[in-house]
Amino acid sequence: MRLLLLALRTLRREWRLPELRTLAASLVLAVVALGVVATLAARIERGMLANAAELIGGDIGIGSPQTLPAKFAAAGRQRGLATNATASFPSVAFAHQQTQLLDVLASDRHYPLRGTLQLRDAAGHAYDGRAPSPGQVYLDHRALVALNLKVGQPLQLGGRELTIGAELLRQPDGGELLALAPRALMSLADAKQAGLLGVGSRARHRLLLAGAPAAVRDWRDWVRKTALPQGAELITPEQTQQRMRTAFDRAGAFLRLTALLSALLAGVAIALASQRYARRKTAEVALLRALGTPRRRVLGLLLGTLGALALPAATLGVLLALGLAQLAWLLAGQLFAGMPTALPLAPSFAAAAMGIAVLLGFALAPLARLAEVPPVAVFRQSAARRVRRFDALYLVPALVALGLIWSQSGSLKLAGILAASLSGVALLAALLAACLLWLARRVAPGAHPALRLGLAALARRRSLSLIQATALSLGLCALLLLAVVAPALLQDWRQELPADTPNWFALNLQDDQRAGFAHELAAIGGQQLNMLPLAVGKLTAINGTPIDRMHFRDPRAAEWADRQLRLSWSSALPPSNKVIAGQWAGPDPARAEVSIDTLWRDMFGLKIGDRLRFNIGESSLDARVGSVRQVDWSSFRVNFFLLFDPAHAGGLPHTWLASFYLPPGHARALAQLSRAYGNLSLIDVDSLLGRVREIVDRVGNAVRGILGFSLLAGALVLAAALAASAAERRHEAALLRTLGARRHQLRAAAACEFALLGLVAGLTAALGAAGAGLWLARAVFHIDGFVPPPWPLALAALGAAATVMLLGLAGTRKVTRTPPMRLLREQ
Amino acid sequence: MNDSSRPLLEACDVSKSVNGPEGRLDILRHVELRIRPGESFAIVGASGSGKTTLLGLLAGLDTPDSGSIRLDGQALEQLDEEARADLRRRLVGFVFQSFHLLPALTAEENVMLPLELEGSSAARPRARAALEAVGLGARRRHYPAQLSGGEQQRVAIARAFVHGPRVLFADEPTGNLDQRTGHHVCDLLFALNRDHRTTLVLVTHDTALAARCDRRIELDEGRVLAAAAGIPA
Repeated sequence: MRLLLLALRTLRREWRLPELRTLAASLVLAVVALGVVATLAARIERGMLANAAELIGGDIGIGSPQTLPAKFAAAGRQRGLATNATASFPSVAFAHQQTQLLDVLASDRHYPLRGTLQLRDAAGHAYDGRAPSPGQVYLDHRALVALNLKVGQPLQLGGRELTIGAELLRQPDGGELLALAPRALMSLADAKQAGLLGVGSRARHRLLLAGAPAAVRDWRDWVRKTALPQGAELITPEQTQQRMRTAFDRAGAFLRLTALLSALLAGVAIALASQRYARRKTAEVALLRALGTPRRRVLGLLLGTLGALALPAATLGVLLALGLAQLAWLLAGQLFAGMPTALPLAPSFAAAAMGIAVLLGFALAPLARLAEVPPVAVFRQSAARRVRRFDALYLVPALVALGLIWSQSGSLKLAGILAASLSGVALLAALLAACLLWLARRVAPGAHPALRLGLAALARRRSLSLIQATALSLGLCALLLLAVVAPALLQDWRQELPADTPNWFALNLQDDQRAGFAHELAAIGGQQLNMLPLAVGKLTAINGTPIDRMHFRDPRAAEWADRQLRLSWSSALPPSNKVIAGQWAGPDPARAEVSIDTLWRDMFGLKIGDRLRFNIGESSLDARVGSVRQVDWSSFRVNFFLLFDPAHAGGLPHTWLASFYLPPGHARALAQLSRAYGNLSLIDVDSLLGRVREIVDRVGNAVRGILGFSLLAGALVLAAALAASAAERRHEAALLRTLGARRHQLRAAAACEFALLGLVAGLTAALGAAGAGLWLARAVFHIDGFVPPPWPLALAALGAAATVMLLGLAGTRKVTRTPPMRLLREQ
Repeated sequence: MNDSSRPLLEACDVSKSVNGPEGRLDILRHVELRIRPGESFAIVGASGSGKTTLLGLLAGLDTPDSGSIRLDGQALEQLDEEARADLRRRLVGFVFQSFHLLPALTAEENVMLPLELEGSSAARPRARAALEAVGLGARRRHYPAQLSGGEQQRVAIARAFVHGPRVLFADEPTGNLDQRTGHHVCDLLFALNRDHRTTLVLVTHDTALAARCDRRIELDEGRVLAAAAGIPA
């Protein structure tokens, strides 16, 4: 207690010291940067899950090939969760002597639990509704056109006569981009009575649940402990929305990277400031030790002072982080309109803990060594500087930095790249600075007097010069990564989705409709039209063994083996596909070849040369696995898991899938076009594209916002680096003034010194930022062909050198004005 | 009046005060003195009597509140800091109690400093000669931390003499040295003073050292004690 009071008194006395203020400001900054980003990330994650819940129509669920036992729904209801049972199956509808295969979803009245079911009545008014009551059915536009029906008319489905209650405009779980058949929504009770769900049906059953997050988690845990029926699996929001997920993952990585670099910058400033604080305290500690204070008590006092400083600073950081995160959320609110918006508190407190860890980690080494100052140092200052070849304590900041990188980056790869890049920068900076100092000794005698004095000044403070060059390089590297490399990466990301990315898909196009459709689409302003054949088939054998006799370790394999597969063929490798094994077949290989996606390779354990047999309609096709592709599923292009060569697959029964870009404002013309092609199904992906673009833009804004923190942290590093040598500089300036040095001589020498220091830092930082950027682009952000912008980096490096020089000179102004008399007084 | 009789350094009615936490504090009051070229002159007095302040004013490191100080005929208070720095570079050398050598420079590089400030092209050979003159030619590549206190002060003396100043100010030059070493350093100072005909102004507690000077004054609470002054009017 007494120690704490003493520590508080010490802090009150020493609060005026610039290094303590730097320590406090650095801690606040680190907590704010980490806290804001973590809070926003937590909220975005919540928003995303809510979005995904809308897409699957519930917070969680189970999918199964059989009817699910009632205990699963009962367990949900016991926990206060709402439940909804559905079944989906293909069925044929009859009307006006016409038949049409439909994708039918049968549901109880509770559908949908999340999201909206958009319907249109006979009068053409759109409204939000619920699943149909018994006796009614909703059909989508394609089904109505195909069967030549209108809302209110009857049709036969599963042997029952049902009335069309409404046109189906949009439904949750309509996220599947390529629905094969027109869709219908009917009552589950009707489906059961019609015997559509009996033994042998191909229905897929779903139980969806929604409610309070804690209850959902509880039910999920219960399900995990309970055996699921054969073939059943949990459906979670995390699995859905792959495209959005990629965008959010990248966004998260960008933001965490920014926050992390700000926190590390703050760490560098803390290290420099505590080094200086320790120097300043040396005489006082020597005196305390001489007066009989035990070492442990000295260390306790130092740590107590640090703690008394850290707690209010971290509290301030948490409050600021929460405030800024709330502000940012309000500004970005429309991205997740209607999503849960409670402000999560835990991330900010975690950030405070991390900030304190940074403070302790970076300040501990100099302070612990300070406690070891021997009492004899009161007589001889040199006794305070005991030579040590290696001090394990100096590994602590490196370990803390590594831990921080690890905890924040969320990925081993990002952590490794950042840690390796920053260590590389530190090493290179130290090496370059050492070379400069070596050169200083060689070149100085023959150099211009100002340069000679500047070089001599660098050489005089050898260890400080090394520390300054390294700290400045690390700080500048982090800033260049954020200010130059990150925007360039974002720009490349944005260019992955150029303005004319296909925003519409058209399904079901027949061979004889292709030319006419292409012509009419061009007439209404459609661009970038690309058509791919689409066949539907099943996998029947692998290397001659029938698929139903095979057992797969991967549960997904059995499910895929049972599915209708979408198959296509192409003579050229489609964009956003990369062959990673084998060779692309080309237009006309000797034998039928199939190229598989990595998911298929992994699920079925396939390798080049394996033989796959498919049934497509009445035909079958034996194809050899010729290549394995890595597909960028986040690109807004039509992609297939399985691609055949056109020479052998061209004759299979197929329709065409068209993708094209239609500028905004042409929707009415497209609607007319779709009426002319009644069998055609149009899918609009503009809204999804728009959201991803919006995310990229918001990440850009957020990165710029957080860049502000980083600039502040960078300024703190610079201030701390300059302050580190200020005392020596003042003493030297006074001595040189006493010996008759003119002010301009001191200024020119300081300009040379800082310009050289800035050049070393700028050069190393630019090289480091370019290298880290290249590495991050390839390994973390998966942005191919990224080239760090050389000119902005070079200019930024020169600018940084000039800034260091100008700030150094500004700091020296006071020093050159120190009256020489002070030197005599200081004796 | 010929050159040798004209004072090189002259203080007329010099006063200096500072503002402290308890108000204004007079450090020097109406000090008068004249020092001739080649003369050795001691300023003695108790701690806080104003010796170092007077030395600083005489060397042009600071300006008096009132009165005038002339160095080689130029009134220092009429010059700005830049001009005073220029004068110091040409005319003045310093030796300090705690040596004030730059720790990262070798003995030779420390001695070269005043020559480098002048832009001298022969700084290195001249510094070497100066170190030879103080008996440290063999240790020119040593850093201050590798030299004893006495050796460090000899390097400081070499630095003070290397550019041939007309007046050398020494502030307690033996204050940090043992008696024997202090004695050697003083011998060196007086020998150089004699050989180079440099005016020597030193501040000291050491009455024996003061006694070796041609003349001395004693300060007490900022005033020159008349009995000890012995200043020719």
